[in-house]
Amino acid sequence: MYAIQAEQLARTFKPDIHAVAGIDLAIEPGKVFGFLGQNGSGKTTTVRMLTTLLRPTGGWARVAGFDVTSNGGAVRQRIGVALQEAGLDEVQTGRELLTLHAQLFGMGRRQARERAEELLAIVDLTEAADRRVAGYSGGMQRRLDLAAALVHHPEILFLDEPTTGLDPISREAIWRYVADLNRQGVTVFLTTQYLEEADRLAGEVAIMDAGTIVAQGSPEELKASIGTDVVTVRPAGHDGVALKAAETLRRLEGSPEVRVVGDSVVVYIPEGARAIAPIVLLLTESGIEITDITLARPTLDDVFLRKTGHHIEATPTGAHA
Amino acid sequence: MRLFRDSGILMLRSLRESMRQPAIEIGNLFIPLFFFAVTVGAISSISEQAFGVSNFTGFQLPVAMLQAIAGSAVAGAGIVNDIQKGYFDKLALTPTPRPALVLGRMLADAVRAVVLVGVIIAVGILTGAGMESGPLGALLLLVIAAAFSLSYTGFAVSLALKTGSNQAVQLSFLLFFPLLFLAPAFAPKEVFSGWLEFLATINPVTYILEGSRSLVLNGWEPDRLLKAFAAIAGIAAVTISMTVWAYRTRKV
Ligand SMILES: Nc1ncnc2c1ncn2[C@@H]1O[C@H](COP(=O)(O)OP(=O)(O)OP(=O)(O)O)[C@@H](O)[C@H]1O
Ligand SMILES: [Mg+2]
Repeated sequence: MYAIQAEQLARTFKPDIHAVAGIDLAIEPGKVFGFLGQNGSGKTTTVRMLTTLLRPTGGWARVAGFDVTSNGGAVRQRIGVALQEAGLDEVQTGRELLTLHAQLFGMGRRQARERAEELLAIVDLTEAADRRVAGYSGGMQRRLDLAAALVHHPEILFLDEPTTGLDPISREAIWRYVADLNRQGVTVFLTTQYLEEADRLAGEVAIMDAGTIVAQGSPEELKASIGTDVVTVRPAGHDGVALKAAETLRRLEGSPEVRVVGDSVVVYIPEGARAIAPIVLLLTESGIEITDITLARPTLDDVFLRKTGHHIEATPTGAHA
Repeated sequence: MRLFRDSGILMLRSLRESMRQPAIEIGNLFIPLFFFAVTVGAISSISEQAFGVSNFTGFQLPVAMLQAIAGSAVAGAGIVNDIQKGYFDKLALTPTPRPALVLGRMLADAVRAVVLVGVIIAVGILTGAGMESGPLGALLLLVIAAAFSLSYTGFAVSLALKTGSNQAVQLSFLLFFPLLFLAPAFAPKEVFSGWLEFLATINPVTYILEGSRSLVLNGWEPDRLLKAFAAIAGIAAVTISMTVWAYRTRKV
């Protein structure tokens, strides 16, 4: 049985927005699944459907073996969810909030208090436990939100951009908790705009673009699927020189794939080290000067670029449309 | 079972919230008492000869009560806040029965209403309003307060669920004031002129007001009390249906 399974899952908003345009998922228990996509690609909409908060307008999905539409209650018992905007009640203290959640998950008052205490320790909030949530930093609120998602020992954890807008230390902390939980057997469905995050945490990644999955596999598989090295050249000079350089480089032996990205040109070519000399030569012959040239193994960013035609544009502030 | 337990837990959360924002509750108490003092001060000396009410303090007491109940009906605003903060989703992701999410806040309103009305009755008695029906009557006034609070607050709750917008919730206050002032708030219905009397007759608040008033001024008048509870039940029937409909058709 899959932890999360979906077929042709879709959601359309009025008037004519295909936020999620039919995606298939088959995620095995115990995995960390990274759902990668830029602003507006449909990540949150997918999470909200999988967590029973939003009705699909097409297809179906099963989470922990239960249909999200017809058996929402059973799904909710088995999942923990930390949404993109940490949904917290600011007038309560961290301890009160966790105790309340534990009670709503059916625990008695005493047991709920103990569970709250445990969770506060796990997310390093014991000291702030009796302060009101309104006074918590963004990172603390995210940690509290994560703790609230864990009160009932869920089998499957959904995290919607858990580290967007956080400083590197808070981000590390979240990564550590997620890795620990996964080691204890929790399946994690994680959306992110950060390639590094997907690379670091996820055993399997899906790249989402405009409501559809354009690539799926382990980060290694995806990188290997490029099958080439990546040479990035930045020509010197005025606007449009990159286009001209790209034109020129397409004439390289083997006609490699060449893309213009901003003021640079990206060449996908096997054995990149050997290609540097011909690239420099060809450009110089055409009268194009080079400011910068780099050679790299493919990264998830290259996969993303190749599949979607653009770089992932993370908004580090967490601001989003 | 689960519904009662969880509603109780969520009610306590809501009450904790008001304890932490005491200024709001003080305002909810101050405004009706202020109107009470001003109207009693202005009208009581002429009320006897103008429309035959000798105990105008007692006559006004239920008006202050209803104002306090309306003022403490904040469940709708609270739900809007929860929805906008994303906390409502968080609560909706727990296995708690769906109605508990709104019932918890509504019960908290009822508790606040009972406390405020208790204070207002005490102030009334101290200032000479009297209580012809005795302590049991005062207790029944608290029951009326709780019941009216629950039925009335459901209106804002349904708008909150349906729209998730504060503007919509503000509408419910706009609705209450005409209802209160189209009821015989400052003079008995008998002195109203034609169209006003007609509006007062079809206004459910009229019967809640008259029922409460009968306990203060006259003692036990079962037919008036029955009408008061029938009016509350009528309002409840409307607001409960609205709330259920709002939840069912909530744009998710
Ligand atoms: N309730 C809604 N009504 C109308 N359109 C919506 C609604 N929710 C989302 N959308 C649209 O659906 C598309 C996908 O949105 P979604 O929030 O799923 O993207 P996302 O990948 O989570 O983006 P972000 O990284 O900014 O969080 C966007 O174009 C968005 O404007
Ligand atoms: Mg999102």
